[in-house]
Amino acid sequence: MDESRASSPLDELTHLAREARCQVPALTPAELDSHWSLVSTQIALQKSRRRSRVRLAMVGAVATAVVAAWGIPKIGRLPERASTQAALTYNIEGGTVVEGGYLRESGAEAIKLRFSEGTKLVLTPGTRARLRTVNSTGARIAIEHGTTSFQVTPRTEAKWQVDVGPFLVTVKGTVFTVSWDAVKEHFDLKLQRGEVSVTGPISTGEISVKTGQRLVVNLPKKETVITEEDGEGEPGWAGAPVPGTAIPTESPIQDRPTPTASRPSNRNSGMASERRTLGAKSFTGQGWVEAVAAGQWDRVLADVDRAGVKQTLSHASSEELLALADAARYRRRTGLARSALLAERHRFAGSPSALDAAFLLGRLEESRPGERQGQMVEAVRWYDAYLAGAPSGPYASEALGRKMMATKQLRGAPEANSLAREYLRRFPTGSYAGAARALLHYP
Amino acid sequence: MPIRSSHIPLALVSSPSRDHLSDTELARALIAGAGWAYEETWNRFAPTVFNMAVSALGSPSEAEDIVQEVFCRLARKAKTLRKPECLRSFIVSFAIRVLKWDSRRRRLQSWLTFLPAESLTDVVGFSLDVESRDMLQRFYALLSRLDARERIVYALRHIESMTIEETAEAMDLSVSTVKRLQERATERLAKWLESDFELTSLLRRKRGCHEA
Repeated sequence: MDESRASSPLDELTHLAREARCQVPALTPAELDSHWSLVSTQIALQKSRRRSRVRLAMVGAVATAVVAAWGIPKIGRLPERASTQAALTYNIEGGTVVEGGYLRESGAEAIKLRFSEGTKLVLTPGTRARLRTVNSTGARIAIEHGTTSFQVTPRTEAKWQVDVGPFLVTVKGTVFTVSWDAVKEHFDLKLQRGEVSVTGPISTGEISVKTGQRLVVNLPKKETVITEEDGEGEPGWAGAPVPGTAIPTESPIQDRPTPTASRPSNRNSGMASERRTLGAKSFTGQGWVEAVAAGQWDRVLADVDRAGVKQTLSHASSEELLALADAARYRRRTGLARSALLAERHRFAGSPSALDAAFLLGRLEESRPGERQGQMVEAVRWYDAYLAGAPSGPYASEALGRKMMATKQLRGAPEANSLAREYLRRFPTGSYAGAARALLHYP
Repeated sequence: MPIRSSHIPLALVSSPSRDHLSDTELARALIAGAGWAYEETWNRFAPTVFNMAVSALGSPSEAEDIVQEVFCRLARKAKTLRKPECLRSFIVSFAIRVLKWDSRRRRLQSWLTFLPAESLTDVVGFSLDVESRDMLQRFYALLSRLDARERIVYALRHIESMTIEETAEAMDLSVSTVKRLQERATERLAKWLESDFELTSLLRRKRGCHEA
């Protein structure tokens, strides 16, 4: 783009689109394979359709005759069919929808929205929200601040999306309550029934939340916790081990009793049988990556409890260790998460995932309760390790930003100035750019 | 009937690797209807089509649909490929056609649902705030008003950060055509943007927040 347009609105928007585009990863071989299986099925169908074209033509002729005989009186049904494609309608109580879809309260009572297919929304008083779009499959609602309860009527074609701060909650049919505190940047989703997927600034990209689970994200702390609503209570970090850099052992992570139940039989893949010959008779991490993606943290942790931590850490693959670290982190077994990440560093040293583990260890140190000073020093050490190994890696902006914030906390703002300058030079539009600018203006 | 047993040992033979085949040879196999050729074509060109589509549409999930549609159509029309040495441009032209079809579909859908086409754009940026998503959605709505070739040229040049030569090669166009399309797209977008007061005020507000 030429210089005369250097700061034009078009430039700014293009830059924003580029930024968003950068967040879209390339298709992985596994994705290519799964899409190919869909495409190849369609191609096979096309071929079989072509073969039976003559037969279809005959059937078509018969069908035309039938329609001619019976269909004309039914033409009156067409508008009815078209109406099912039209956008949903809704009633609003306790407020009005003003320009831009903004939901304005008319009194002190909660705003209630009822859609024509049965979906209900209740905005607690004081909630700022917008009704962005409404179509035949659902609606898109943006919650800028506050709490909203949803009761979405299940339908096969239903598509409801809720923008909650920087998060996007995608819903089919479910009952849940979601809150966003714009000041504290605190996201809270309680799912009473059904399943939703949440995307946003979460390390795993997308999280699927199931019935009875609660997802809490504290953005400033970069803390993501999933709990079961009936037993776990308020989320928070507990049972953390003393920080250290030793190779993981059994001792710091025995934070849960090992059940005596016998292990269920696993699907015998080549990988699993290979592991058995290696002596890890009871370990299998098969399906852990998928289980974590599907929100089945407890399944992964139960596998670990059965097989034993030491066995698991010494036989799990690189991907399985990262999956285990995620599952343990979401279920507040910080010690186990840390041990899995340390095992990743030790066993797969030099690999990109070992570098990612360094960054995640830094995040884990920052999130742990206890002696702050020591943890921050340890976190900075991990961020340094990550930045040294992957200066332009996927977490580089985040690692440098966190290092800057930790340095500010440890040694004060003037000490963090050089890091702020470096951050702005390397990531002028990164998520810590605002904090970096603020640091540079420190008196 | 007596059963004769063969003494020739059976051997498991792995399928030959197709990596060494040139695009032209692959195209010939496609025209001849070889089953493996579709999968090989998919593996070689699906990522390119995905990148084009995600830049042009702004939505990975919609881009995935486009990629699948392109390759389904390709399977139907592979035999119409006249110049095997132009397989890449053949696929790109399919992608452009599918993107055109998709924008027509959106317009039609917006007519049916009485909603503006922009409300049907599903733009996702993982760490974007509500305002940025809003702006992005509106920006992609403007992009969708461009002619499909202009939109893809603009997206490849400015969103994918490809050079003019790379864009020309990807789209099988001459460098001068790419320059012309890019210039036209930029002019039209800038003009539309000037008259989109809501979007410009969103931008001003965002700029104000950053400066504050």
